[in-house]
Amino acid sequence: MAEGSRGGSTCGGGVGGRQNPVPSSGGCNFPEYELPEMNTRVFHVAAFGELWLGRLRGEGDLSLKEPPAPALPGGRGVADSGQEDEAVARDLGCSLEAAAELRAVCGVRKRLLEHREETITIDRVCRQETFAYEMESHAIGKKPENPADMIEEGELILSVNILYPVIFHKHKEHKPYQTMLVLGSQKLTELRDSICCVSDLQIGGEFSNTPDQAPEHISKDLYKSAFFYFEGTFYNDKRYPECRDLSRTIIEWSESHDRGYGKFQTAKMEDFTFNDLCIKLGFPYLYCHQGDCEHVVVITDIRLVHHNDCLDRTLYPLLIKKHWLWTRKCFVCKMYTARWVTNNDSFAPEDPCFFCDVCFRMLHYDSEGNKLGEFLAYPYVDPGTFS
Amino acid sequence: MGAPAGLQADCEALLSRFQEMDSVRFEDFTDLWRSMKFGTIFCGRMRNLEKNTFTKEALALAWRYFLPPYTFQIRVCALYLLYGLYNTQLCQPKQKIRVAVKDWDEILKFQQDLINAQHFDAAYIFRKLRLDRAFHFTAMPTLLSYRMKKKIQRAEVTEDFKDPNDHVMKLITSDVLEEMLNVHDHYQRMKHIISADRANPDKALSLIKDDFFDNIKSIVLEHQQWYKDRKNLSLKSKGKDGEEKSEGNSQQLERSERAESLAKIKSRAFSVFVQASKSRRHRQVKLDSSDSDSASSQRQTKATRKRKNKETLKPEGRKMSSRYRGDMQNVHKEDKSVSLSMPVITEEEEENESFSETEFTAPKRRRKHRTKSLV
Repeated sequence: MAEGSRGGSTCGGGVGGRQNPVPSSGGCNFPEYELPEMNTRVFHVAAFGELWLGRLRGEGDLSLKEPPAPALPGGRGVADSGQEDEAVARDLGCSLEAAAELRAVCGVRKRLLEHREETITIDRVCRQETFAYEMESHAIGKKPENPADMIEEGELILSVNILYPVIFHKHKEHKPYQTMLVLGSQKLTELRDSICCVSDLQIGGEFSNTPDQAPEHISKDLYKSAFFYFEGTFYNDKRYPECRDLSRTIIEWSESHDRGYGKFQTAKMEDFTFNDLCIKLGFPYLYCHQGDCEHVVVITDIRLVHHNDCLDRTLYPLLIKKHWLWTRKCFVCKMYTARWVTNNDSFAPEDPCFFCDVCFRMLHYDSEGNKLGEFLAYPYVDPGTFS
Repeated sequence: MGAPAGLQADCEALLSRFQEMDSVRFEDFTDLWRSMKFGTIFCGRMRNLEKNTFTKEALALAWRYFLPPYTFQIRVCALYLLYGLYNTQLCQPKQKIRVAVKDWDEILKFQQDLINAQHFDAAYIFRKLRLDRAFHFTAMPTLLSYRMKKKIQRAEVTEDFKDPNDHVMKLITSDVLEEMLNVHDHYQRMKHIISADRANPDKALSLIKDDFFDNIKSIVLEHQQWYKDRKNLSLKSKGKDGEEKSEGNSQQLERSERAESLAKIKSRAFSVFVQASKSRRHRQVKLDSSDSDSASSQRQTKATRKRKNKETLKPEGRKMSSRYRGDMQNVHKEDKSVSLSMPVITEEEEENESFSETEFTAPKRRRKHRTKSLV
């Protein structure tokens, strides 16, 4: 569990209780509302899992095995029903005849459902809806090829909303976000690696003189530092030697004067799994990378894994919802996604102006590749690239 | 996104029609379901994504009615509704029912109540849902994404489906009674100690009625009995095929007999009756003609002494178990003829307070007056 309580996150109540070790009893581990319908109090993730596991029978409720194939109506052998009736009679304390009658009365009429499935007509669907539906359901029920990758019973699945850092006026009511499912036993670094943000792909540098030179590194490779902030603790990514502690600035700022914040802690992101954290559900936290690209992170839900979920561990963290962003098209052809942006361009009607690769070269360079006119050109990665 | 328009109205229509049927049997529910063609709720021309969200909303809505504070009958109907919605949904794979960990213990208790009360069809259905792994075991009932809504929509609890609040019992719990008894005894002892004559306290010190605690206890017990009888009457529970013979049978016979005798006592002592009409059976308590106030003030007002109370005082433990809501035993049909309006306690000659008949028409005055006399 959370051995990293030296400097690690704690589950004390409120801001002052940072130095206490994680309590093992269920006192603060029962998720309950702090602000009704908004967020819960702090609780320890793995301890919450234990609350459930203690209350359920593994075989029945938590099993990840496939359900037995439903028998044909009327085709079931007498022995099967007899066994079932015995189980019912045992569980409910009724007689065998009562159990048999219950089975008859409370069953579901399968044929009606199947008939209805065939006769329903549905309108055609637009791209965005198909996209959203596919995202939600593409991984449902997937089983791994390698059995070692199978998720275990009792594993927790956290549903995390990561908001985009864009700030548009049109988004002021509902900020766009992507939703990822992550396992309780996965490390924070795995989530960090799977968040795809445009700022990671930016290529620094002005390339008007050398448009063909393939840029060496994208920002993701150059600036590897990142941190998560949960409940008063900054979890810094320290896997590589280039990684710096981005949170130090904030901590120094907070400690320089009495600003009303408790003592912040730091920890290493790679040492912690989600099961070790103490978090509030529905409460906004922070993910910061590239020095200044900040994403608000909200953990919306935690539940036990179900046999219908994706059971392949390698597919997690799993993206299930993404905000559809329209890509910016080239100003000239209006067809291809923009790959270049120019400033102070005498050829362009506006500043900045976006071009796709082909149009950019046709407009700004002659057939030998010499630069024509004066301009500044930067490679451009559109936020909608991932859609 | 909020629940689709009309979904709540439809579910409540189903629930209230089931409530009117006064039964908790699954067969009655299926008849109702088929007559309303409720399964067609999913047949609207919905594409895949909308199907998923709609089904989730429907299950979450039905789930709310499954938890307290709704009445037993409503909760059983909500269980059947969940079962129906879960099995008739068109999503593939099926959308699951979300259960929060804080509610699970309550639900297990409910299932145990069902088994104890021998509502085997409801217990079987819950068991079947569990076997089908129809539940998602979650931390909180809904997803929390910190949406800053301008007005937080609180789920409103439909009043008709709730048990009316028993304010008297909330006010006077067994702890309170115990404490009252302790204080009373202590006070009496103090009076004895400081008086000149050890046997009898001074006349000047008799500021309260000495038997006030016994009276309060008997009144509260009677109220409790009345409340329980009223609830038992509104729920007709038939056992399954001759499973009616249970250990509890003798116990329930005793209870219904007591209810009968109590009713006879009341009918002899009191003059005012109100027989609630059949359609308003569930609102009996509010129709007392002598009182135009709200239900809560009604119940608080009748606490005068009643010398004719033939009930023996039950020990504390027994009283608490009779409050146990899930304990729905068979009620004999004769009870139906008993009118269970709120007992109107008239004044009797032996009383030495200054209550008068006219007090009944002015409830507010009566309340003030009463508190003065009790202390």
